[in-house]
Amino acid sequence: MKDVSVNIHDANAPVKISCKDLTMTFVQKGTHVVPVLDNVSIDVHDQELLVVLGPGQCGKTTLLRMIAGLETPTNGTISLDGEEVTSPGPDRGLVFQSYMLFPWHTVEKNVSIGLEMKGLSHDDIQKTVSHYIQLVGLKGFEKYYPHQLSGGMKQRVGIARAFAMSPKVMLMDEPFGQLDAQTRLFMEQETERIWLQEKRTMVFVTNNIDEALLLGDRIVTMEGKLPGRVKSSYAVDLPRPRDPMSIGFLTLRQTITDEQELTL
Amino acid sequence: MSNASQNVCNEVIVAGGDRKPFNIVAFLRNEYFLSCVSLLFFFSFWHWAASSHVLGHTSALATPMEVLSRLAELFTSTLAGLTMWGHIWASLKRVLIGFTLAALLGVPLGLVMALNPYVNAIVKPIIDIFKPMPPLAWISVAILWFGVQETPKIFIIVIGSFIPALLNSYNSVLLIEPELYDVVRVLGGKRWDEIRLVCIPASLPAISAGLQISMSSAWGCVLAAELVSSRSGLGYIIIQGMKVSDPAMVLGGMVVIAVIAWLISQTLEWADRKLCPWRRDIKSF
Repeated sequence: MKDVSVNIHDANAPVKISCKDLTMTFVQKGTHVVPVLDNVSIDVHDQELLVVLGPGQCGKTTLLRMIAGLETPTNGTISLDGEEVTSPGPDRGLVFQSYMLFPWHTVEKNVSIGLEMKGLSHDDIQKTVSHYIQLVGLKGFEKYYPHQLSGGMKQRVGIARAFAMSPKVMLMDEPFGQLDAQTRLFMEQETERIWLQEKRTMVFVTNNIDEALLLGDRIVTMEGKLPGRVKSSYAVDLPRPRDPMSIGFLTLRQTITDEQELTL
Repeated sequence: MSNASQNVCNEVIVAGGDRKPFNIVAFLRNEYFLSCVSLLFFFSFWHWAASSHVLGHTSALATPMEVLSRLAELFTSTLAGLTMWGHIWASLKRVLIGFTLAALLGVPLGLVMALNPYVNAIVKPIIDIFKPMPPLAWISVAILWFGVQETPKIFIIVIGSFIPALLNSYNSVLLIEPELYDVVRVLGGKRWDEIRLVCIPASLPAISAGLQISMSSAWGCVLAAELVSSRSGLGYIIIQGMKVSDPAMVLGGMVVIAVIAWLISQTLEWADRKLCPWRRDIKSF
């Protein structure tokens, strides 16, 4: 296992999220023990777009849910800005793989529902909601219901909903996994554009290497079987917006692919 | 009007289209036309069956015209001290009271049972015991306990419509996607927010469907209860028709029942569309 604390991108940036020695075991049906993560330690730096890359069933979604506070690790600690993470909260925004929009609310209401829980004034909510709906490119669709939207549009609502809470960290759990290839590429470019416009610390989980190279400042690869362990870490020092056909991109892609057991 | 397309956020919306010219095959296959033809055949068949006495002796079945004229007579005279409207209101009143009671009892109880495992453990076995019992079996018990006034009839209606309302609201909560609760928690919500923001809106479509079943069950129960012991109502009219061998009256009563039940179900469907505007259009049967 390579040294995972090497970070060429910005060694001076403070550590935003620190995961130390995370171990997670699920107990199913009382006796069947499934080890999901084994001594995973990852540091996420401030304003960095970290990509966790790994094939299916390697524990990366569980890792993300633990950072979000939805699961508690069996061992180990997670801290955000020095404070330990124990429960979910609006300081960590989460974008779900299957969109998870409320089908009984319009796009507008879906984005504003978290803000209403926060207790902001009506004008503030209006302003924030229209800003983020415009940011994700859905201006004009405020009154639409989720069942009238396509998959890419639904996920954009999910991204707007998470961004609108102004979280310290954005967590994205394979958000484009259910989209077709063309929409997926478009959404990756949109995410890069949105992230560049409103810079935030982001942890992005994916199984797609092109997506990882297009988005990540740093890529952490996971081993391909349970229990999940960190394999290695790569700094992506390519100019933005990323060009998937450039030499640097393809060279790094080759390096990462060689290291994996399966072709990516 | 030509096809206009609009490129919005990588999505293309095509607006408008030309009207197609008249096509006889398409006309014959049109659903509304076929429905009208089907109804026409039905009434013609009914008239033929009634007038040709295929079902035995002469007064077994009344023709549609006979039913209509008998209904016209009924609406302009009184029967057992009440006009036809009075009878309709008598049955309707019983249904509405019973249905409302059943809904007010069943829907909240179903929600609480689904959300609280302790309440579920206490209440569910009792519901399971009473669930298969047909409401009509309760008629004699109801008369024993409550006499022969309005109370036993309303009791039967509540028994009959309580179970569908309860079961639908119970199941609706169990069918909610569990990750939706995660959404609320990640946005900073607590348990009460989860119930308020996810449980209740998500269960509305199923509750609404359950209430529609509840209503039709209520109608079935009121007529059965009236058939047994009543001096007013639509069931009473049917029984009178049977007693005096007046098939036009019996059929007339059935027609009035069908029309009113249809009107009520249309009202419930309208309310359902207003409450749950996000549901896709499903053609109702």
